[in-house]
Amino acid sequence: MGARTQGFCALGARARVKDMLVTDTPATAVDATLRALLADVLGLGEARAAALTDDSGLFGELPEFDSMAVATVLTEMEDRLGILIDDDEVDGEIFETYGNLLAFSVRKVAG
Amino acid sequence: MSEHHLRIDPAGTPRASVLFVPPLFEEANRTRRTLVLAMRALAAEGLATLLPDLPGQNESLVPLVEVDLARWRAALAEAASEVAGPLIIASLRGGALIDHAAPAAAWWRLAPASGASLLRTLLRARVSADREAGIASSLASLEAEAAAAPLLLAGNLLSPAMIADLGAAEAQAVEPLRSVALGADGIAGTPLWLRAEPGEDRDMAQAIAADIIAWSRSCGVI
Repeated sequence: MGARTQGFCALGARARVKDMLVTDTPATAVDATLRALLADVLGLGEARAAALTDDSGLFGELPEFDSMAVATVLTEMEDRLGILIDDDEVDGEIFETYGNLLAFSVRKVAG
Repeated sequence: MSEHHLRIDPAGTPRASVLFVPPLFEEANRTRRTLVLAMRALAAEGLATLLPDLPGQNESLVPLVEVDLARWRAALAEAASEVAGPLIIASLRGGALIDHAAPAAAWWRLAPASGASLLRTLLRARVSADREAGIASSLASLEAEAAAAPLLLAGNLLSPAMIADLGAAEAQAVEPLRSVALGADGIAGTPLWLRAEPGEDRDMAQAIAADIIAWSRSCGVI
């Protein structure tokens, strides 16, 4: 069955939205992206993600936040914020609180 | 293929078949339940559905360290060639890296991931676990180590060939293809493959099935 359908496929291949990258993203957009990302990875649900404050503890505080989740969050931050994160930038501190993670992200996005 | 596969058939003669290529590694476990719900929804619409175990994954007896992407591509091509009648290949995430060698009438991909990004997450999980164990490692030191010997990454023992393959792998062009992302203009749902704890999403399973059916119809496959 090697033949491929040649017919016109109306739905078309859609452009991927993943690479939409806005330069000088404002801090509020980074904040929204970060909350959505934590909700996705940690399964927080919108309400818990929206309730995160600068002082909310992450690693060591949220039981879902294990080392695999840390790895997933870092890669998703790179994809969604259009940044690159080096090993030596990642210390325990940036995952201590939501405020720390947000400040780190805003700094990275600003370049 | 001597691997197990999960097969859900419709009540009557199938109009076509859908072969699902699961995400790779842990992401497969996180999405399996929702994928199977999508298979049931497709079977209810008269399509035969198939979810094969990739060698070295799920119930496979093959040690993962003996596997590389070429072997996965060949296994899928073999599984696809055994399907009678028109076939649609539906891949998720890293599954899109290995779905192009299989003969099909149409392809459908959800949130395709690059091999480099999957590998980076696996390497990072190892760095993070090493740090907790008091061992200093880095992405660079692990990559250097992986050039010579198999590396254990988040519970997966991967050969140097697999790690090199994965680092360079991108989804290949196939025709006709519908590539969808999550979101308002794609599949409504959450990226279950990222989730620290497995979940399921019935609405998303229905949306996946409906989108595959619409795509197959527009291509004249069903």
